[in-house]
Order: sequence, then C-alpha cells, then structure tokens
Amino acid sequence: MSSPLADWSESPAWLAPIPTSDDREFWVGARNGELRIQRCGACGLHQHYARMLCSHCGADEIAFVVASGLGTIYSFTVIRKNGVPPFRERVPFVVASVQLDEPGARVLAAMPTTAIESVAIGARVRAQFRPVGDEFAFVDFALDSA
Amino acid sequence: MAMKRNVCVVGVGLSDGPITPDLNQHQLIAQAFRRALTDAGMQKHEVEGLASAGYGGMHEVAVAEYLGLTPHWLESTSCGGSSFEFHIQHAYRAIQAGDVETVAVVYGNNQLSASGRTLGTGGGGGRGGPLPGPMKYEFPTGLTLVGAYAMAAQRHMYEFGTTPEQLASIAVQTREHAARNEGAMYRDLISIDDVMSSNLVADPLHKLDCCVISDGGCVVILTTQDRARDLRHKPVYIRGAAGGTTHHSINAMADMTRTAAAISGPRAFADAGIRPIDVDVFCAYDSFTYTVLVTLEDLGFVPKGEGGPFVADGNLRLGGVLPTNPDGGGLSNTHPGMRGLFLACEATRQLRGDGGASQVKGAEVAVCNGSGGWLSTQGTIVLSTEAS
Ligand SMILES: [Zn+2]
Repeated sequence: MSSPLADWSESPAWLAPIPTSDDREFWVGARNGELRIQRCGACGLHQHYARMLCSHCGADEIAFVVASGLGTIYSFTVIRKNGVPPFRERVPFVVASVQLDEPGARVLAAMPTTAIESVAIGARVRAQFRPVGDEFAFVDFALDSA
Repeated sequence: MAMKRNVCVVGVGLSDGPITPDLNQHQLIAQAFRRALTDAGMQKHEVEGLASAGYGGMHEVAVAEYLGLTPHWLESTSCGGSSFEFHIQHAYRAIQAGDVETVAVVYGNNQLSASGRTLGTGGGGGRGGPLPGPMKYEFPTGLTLVGAYAMAAQRHMYEFGTTPEQLASIAVQTREHAARNEGAMYRDLISIDDVMSSNLVADPLHKLDCCVISDGGCVVILTTQDRARDLRHKPVYIRGAAGGTTHHSINAMADMTRTAAAISGPRAFADAGIRPIDVDVFCAYDSFTYTVLVTLEDLGFVPKGEGGPFVADGNLRLGGVLPTNPDGGGLSNTHPGMRGLFLACEATRQLRGDGGASQVKGAEVAVCNGSGGWLSTQGTIVLSTEAS
C-alpha cells in the first residue's frame, strides 16, 4: 500500500528564497521552467549551487546554462519526522540527491509527487518546478516516465 | 633546535549529567573544569591555553572570563562535533613546539534542557534572513540532520549490501556498555528487534540508530611530559593527530560511503607510528549508527564495505576485536550537542585503567575519531600509555 502524498503547492512566505547576486539566475530560471546551473569554460564541468569560481578547477570562466533537467538518483531518504511546519504536516516524503546528466553537478531536491515506494537509487528522474511567491520557484524532481 | 616535547593528557573532568535543567553551559564547563584541575592536581593559574567550541561569536573569550583565565594561547576551531579533536591536535602541536605549556580544552552545553529533543529533526532552519550557502537550497526540501546521515547510509547499503540490522547491532552493543555505566542516560539492554521496531526517523535510520540528546560538560587538560611527572596520574600521551573535511552539506559529499577519516586516520596513525591492528579501544563519534560504521572502514579497522558484517559479529563489544565506546557512547550515554571531547575523556580513563565496569583489559592504545556536521569534518587522535 502506498503512502498518501501531501500537497506541497502552498508554501509559507518565509520559506521563499532570498536570492543574492550570484544565484538570482537559478531562482528566476526555475520560475521560468528551466533548471539553470553553472558550466565552467575552462574544465567543462558543471556546478550547483552558483558560485564565483569553478569548484572543480578554480577558474572564473563561469556561465549559466540551461540543464536538461534529467538525472539519476545518487541517494535518497524518506523523511518521516520533521518538527518544522510546513514539513511537519508533509511527512512522509522523499528527499533525493540527484546526479544531473551534466557532469559535475548534483542537486538536492524533494520528490513530492512521486510515490515513496517507487523511489530507488539509480532511478532516472526529471526536474519539475513549484512556484513560491511571485518571482521564484523551487526545483523538485519526479521519476522520469519518458 | 630543541627536540620535540612529549605531550600528554593529565586531567579529565565531567560535569553532572546527562540531565541538568538548572545548569547553563558556563556552569557545566566550570564544574567539569574544577573536576579536571582536581583530577590533574593542578592550580588554575597554570592553565595558560584555552580551547573551546561553542555557539556565538567570541564564546571562547567569554568562557575564559567566566573561569577567570587570561590565556596567552587561544583556539576556537568550530567544525561541529569533531572540533575537539582539532583542538587537541592544535594544542598538541603548540605544546610540542613550546608555544604553550598547559592547555584546557573545554565544552559544556545544556542542549536537552534548553532546546529539547529537536536537534536532528528540524529547528535548524531559517525563518527570516537569507540562509547561508547550500542551506538555502536544502532547507526548503525538508531535509533534516538525521535525513542527511540516512541518505549516506542508504548509499552504503546500495553499494555494499549493508543492512539496517547490521546498523542496529551497533546500537545494541553500545547499549551493553551503557548498562555498565551508572551515569549513562539509557541503560536497559535492547535487541536488534527493538531498534528495528523503533520509529523510522529517516529511512533507514530508526530512533534507536540516533544518539541521545543530553546536557553535559567535559574538560581535558594537556601539558608536557616534564610537567606531568609530579601530577596525580600516570600521563596518557598524545601520539598522533590529524583532521580533514570533504564537504559541508550532504549533497556535496562526493562519495557518501567515504569520509575525511580516510585521510585523517592514516595521517594520525603514521604520526603515532601505529597500525589499526594495534588499537585496543576505539572511541567513535556515534551521532548515528552509520557514523560508526563508515568511520570504522575509513580508519582502516576493516576494509571498505565490510563494516556491516564486522559489527554484526559483535566485534565492538568489550572482549571483541575492537571494543568501541565503552562508556555507552552518544547512542546511549551522553551527547550534549557535540560529543568530541567526551571521546578523549573516555580514552584517557581507559588508558589509565579507570574504566570501571567497562574497562578494556590491558588497554595501551586508544583512537578517538570525532565527526562533525553532516559527516563533513573528521578529526582523529591517537593516545597511548607510552610516550613513543
Ligand atoms: Zn572548472
């Protein structure tokens, strides 16, 4: 029997991100349905979250690119206890560390629309976007049905 | 150039605990400090170096004032539960080099009484103000501290076939030790079934895979071999120390089955001139059962991936291949927010032969491995009854 999934569509205002100059692109991109990560022009590897330098080689030839939104679950857990609202009311839910198809970048994300029992390490997943406030969105993942 | 001086632990002190609703963190530190001075047979004015990890800016300076110390050597590396292994590493080097003679490493926290049992399952997050670095991305996923460790454990299970029952056996063996310790928070024996049937907090970790949350303070005093000669106890020597970090947030842990202990362990062992097989007592940071499993492997006590069968065979027990956390550890004895200093206290008691009902017979070499953050930082120290 599968656990019923909580509705994550409404988030309290305090949970909305406060973007900074280096990561505004990510949050605005998510609102536009795009997973924007950084690619290093020197080594060709990617990174998430946004930084001033490449965390792989140290170069400063950093530019945002639109990622495919596809990846593979590196690991995950099912959160069954969280004392902080709104998460307290959302349990149980899955949080996964997703290795993106773009080399070098991993994203930590909730998987609020995927049945808990169907999540596994190695599963293919696709990004989906959940608006928060007027300007930004969170990046979630779901099993890739394609 | 003068020869490097030998450095030793000469005093240890524990505050009251594990539940002290009437004591704040300074009181807990002061209580443990007084007991450590008495244990060493030293006067307060001899302490000329202070190391402390706590919360808030300049906490170590506030502690110095509270204790009435005016140290000329200060250390406040703050990297979570392993901070104190880093402090001992730095104090060991500074005393060795002649920068300072005597250092007190101190910690106290009324975690349980002040904040309740919320540490691992929320309460860490960000109402108001931007969250720093990766937390801005992680907090909105609902990930908890327990969840971060659970995610790493899950990867270990995937790669090596480690089972939740094997993890549970770590909690079971640690509880056997706590049963022998009158001061431990939980002393009733538990079974693997008890662990497995306790509530899942974050898969695969159950409530009994998680450390206790307590109050408590601890102080460890280090000085030179020369100064130790006319003190109360036979000195316990610091023989090796090293630390390292691989990531901050769990999502940035490139290989969730390998911590920085794989770096700090071999460096500390080489410094000490020992091999893993020489170790009689292992004081492991057991924030969660998985923390013990992965650091056992990283330190080379067992090959990578073989930690599960090793612990399931009962090797952590007194009388086992590697007696681990004879005081009952963080899993059953005490864990007031950060536990790293308690590891050095227990190692010292064991090497003095003061381990009481949990004494590891004939213990000559002990290893403490502190772990901080989200498996982020690791600090390893080697202690011995012999100077070299
Ligand atoms: Zn690069």
